[in-house]
Amino acid sequence: MTRGLKDNTMLNIDNLHVRTGEADILKGLSLEIGAGEVHAIMGPNGSGKSTLAQAIAGHEDYDITAGRIEFDGKDIAELDPEERAREGIFLGFQYPVEIPGVNNAYLLKAALNAKRKHDGQEEIDAFEFLKLAKEKMALLGMDPQFLNRGVNEGFSGGEKKRNEILQMAVLEPRLAILDETDSGLDIDALKAVAEGVNALRSEDRAIVLVTHYQRLLDYITPDFVHVLSNGRIVHSGDKTLATELEQRGYDWVAQAAAG
Amino acid sequence: MNGVDLTRLRAHVGGLAASSLDAARKRALKALETDGLPSTRHEDWKYTDLADVAAISDAWLTRPHTPTATAAGDAFIDELKSAADIDWLLLRNGSIEALYAAAPEGIVTSRLSENPPPDAPTNALTALNTALIADGLVIQVDANPERPLGLLFLDDADDDRAALSQTRVDIRVAAGSAVDIVEYHASFGDSPHYSNAVLTLDLGENALARHLRVQNRGRGHSLTQRLDVALAASARFQSAAFDLGGKLTRNDLAVDLAARGAGAEFDGLYLTGEGQHMDNHTRVDHRVGPATSRQAYRGILFGRARGVWNGKAVVHEGADGTDAEQENHNLLLSEHAEIDTKPELEIYAEDVRCSHGTTVGQLDEKALFYLRSRGLSGDEARRLLVRAFAARTIEALPFSALDVHLETLLDTRLAEIKDITVSL
Repeated sequence: MTRGLKDNTMLNIDNLHVRTGEADILKGLSLEIGAGEVHAIMGPNGSGKSTLAQAIAGHEDYDITAGRIEFDGKDIAELDPEERAREGIFLGFQYPVEIPGVNNAYLLKAALNAKRKHDGQEEIDAFEFLKLAKEKMALLGMDPQFLNRGVNEGFSGGEKKRNEILQMAVLEPRLAILDETDSGLDIDALKAVAEGVNALRSEDRAIVLVTHYQRLLDYITPDFVHVLSNGRIVHSGDKTLATELEQRGYDWVAQAAAG
Repeated sequence: MNGVDLTRLRAHVGGLAASSLDAARKRALKALETDGLPSTRHEDWKYTDLADVAAISDAWLTRPHTPTATAAGDAFIDELKSAADIDWLLLRNGSIEALYAAAPEGIVTSRLSENPPPDAPTNALTALNTALIADGLVIQVDANPERPLGLLFLDDADDDRAALSQTRVDIRVAAGSAVDIVEYHASFGDSPHYSNAVLTLDLGENALARHLRVQNRGRGHSLTQRLDVALAASARFQSAAFDLGGKLTRNDLAVDLAARGAGAEFDGLYLTGEGQHMDNHTRVDHRVGPATSRQAYRGILFGRARGVWNGKAVVHEGADGTDAEQENHNLLLSEHAEIDTKPELEIYAEDVRCSHGTTVGQLDEKALFYLRSRGLSGDEARRLLVRAFAARTIEALPFSALDVHLETLLDTRLAEIKDITVSL
């Protein structure tokens, strides 16, 4: 993909090489994402989907050995994860971490205030925060009791994913990367998650859905679908590509790219 | 004797005002003459060296004096009085004073010297205490006091001379009575100070004692403390202990489950930082069954800190139906910190359920990244995780009278943690 062609470019990844431990996972990945767009990144297990998500969020175990990640035209490779978060990048984890002893509401509020402070806004007061959190929870079909529990502590798989979407809904990031948010969800949870994501769709936001299956895309229609294989984007298309992948699998894309 | 000059000790004991405690003092002195204070060759004292506190004792015995109270001490008393609705008894620089105007219902206090003499000391520090105390405090609880009973052990001095204080409190809770007890250790001033406290708690049948212990002494001050709890049938002891301050702190907690249906649950948290040494030794004796004991200690160590935890449970012959649990978890936040942790189980009965587990670890890196990915700074995220580790003990608080004060103390202390090493 050519660099910075779009006039709405928000995230521009150019020739990205990422290594974790001894393994080179991403090997020259390029991808451009514009404001207002929803992209789906699909691909077989081990193709580098989660590595891409973690590298954008700034996990220090993932070394960028070559290439660039630009957000709003700014190279973010040197930014700490919290700085990226405050700039408006949100990663919905494939495996949300359980943190007993840290209150869910506390984290939500601290995260929101970190961002507000960064944006030069005043901290939200307790009353306003509670109102906001409850409103978003209602949208996601979450019991307000979850606010008082430890972060993801003892949550079911579906509850953890809803909690990720709740954080996203409260933080209103400009770029949301959802890593396998659909995995392990029953149909009700999937619909709730999709509703949360769709509610966030807007002209000045971009959403990246990292997924193995097409199922989620029945509820969130992507503008672009990319196939990641062996550390690179090997094929891009519109939403019909997802259906094709569901029917034909991934092998043909990888073979076509190799051939 | 280890650091303490026996001639001076003898002379001092001989010079104490005559009292019904004289025989006990002489007996204690004799025990000290024979055995002295334990050295690090003693198994129970392997990691905790008493040389320093023995030297302070010796210096004090050379020029015995009662320190003059300080304004900081007065201000602290006022702060505590306004922090919570607690009936305080003050043990300040060896003197005993009730801070309440009228004795709370159900509580009768007297002097140790007005009571039958104490049992022969079973260990050197109790012997040192018995030999040197001017007098002790005996508290009889005969009903259910409305408010918690507070014991404020306060040492403060406006000079720089070595100071030594010995305190003794015996609490007896009558059958069927329930009492909340706050035991608070604080100290002020720059002089080297050593305090040696001996407490006993006897619980009658069906009695309940809920106990909160806070130790936040000055960083140059050392404390050895022993609490012996004896439980009659169906009596219960619930406790949460917080060690935050002090230089050297050694706590011995011994729980004697001598009758059927008795139960003891105690939690402890030690926050051990630069230059601090905290040693918790616990012992639970299950003499008959069924009876339950559960202990859970957590340690947070940072800087050049040294922690020791040794939890022993002895299940005596015939104590079938014993249910004993021991846990000790440690968060090591610096490569210079050290913890020695050791659970010990001795089981001489058949039908028992005993478990123990100890861990030593660092902060969870996955959790750290998760928090940072939500916009929290690395420092904030680390502090939050350390706080979360401590939360378990805070949740175990047996009553809420002092919780706001305690949370503030903890947060102040946690804020002092710098340069956390995540992976060692």
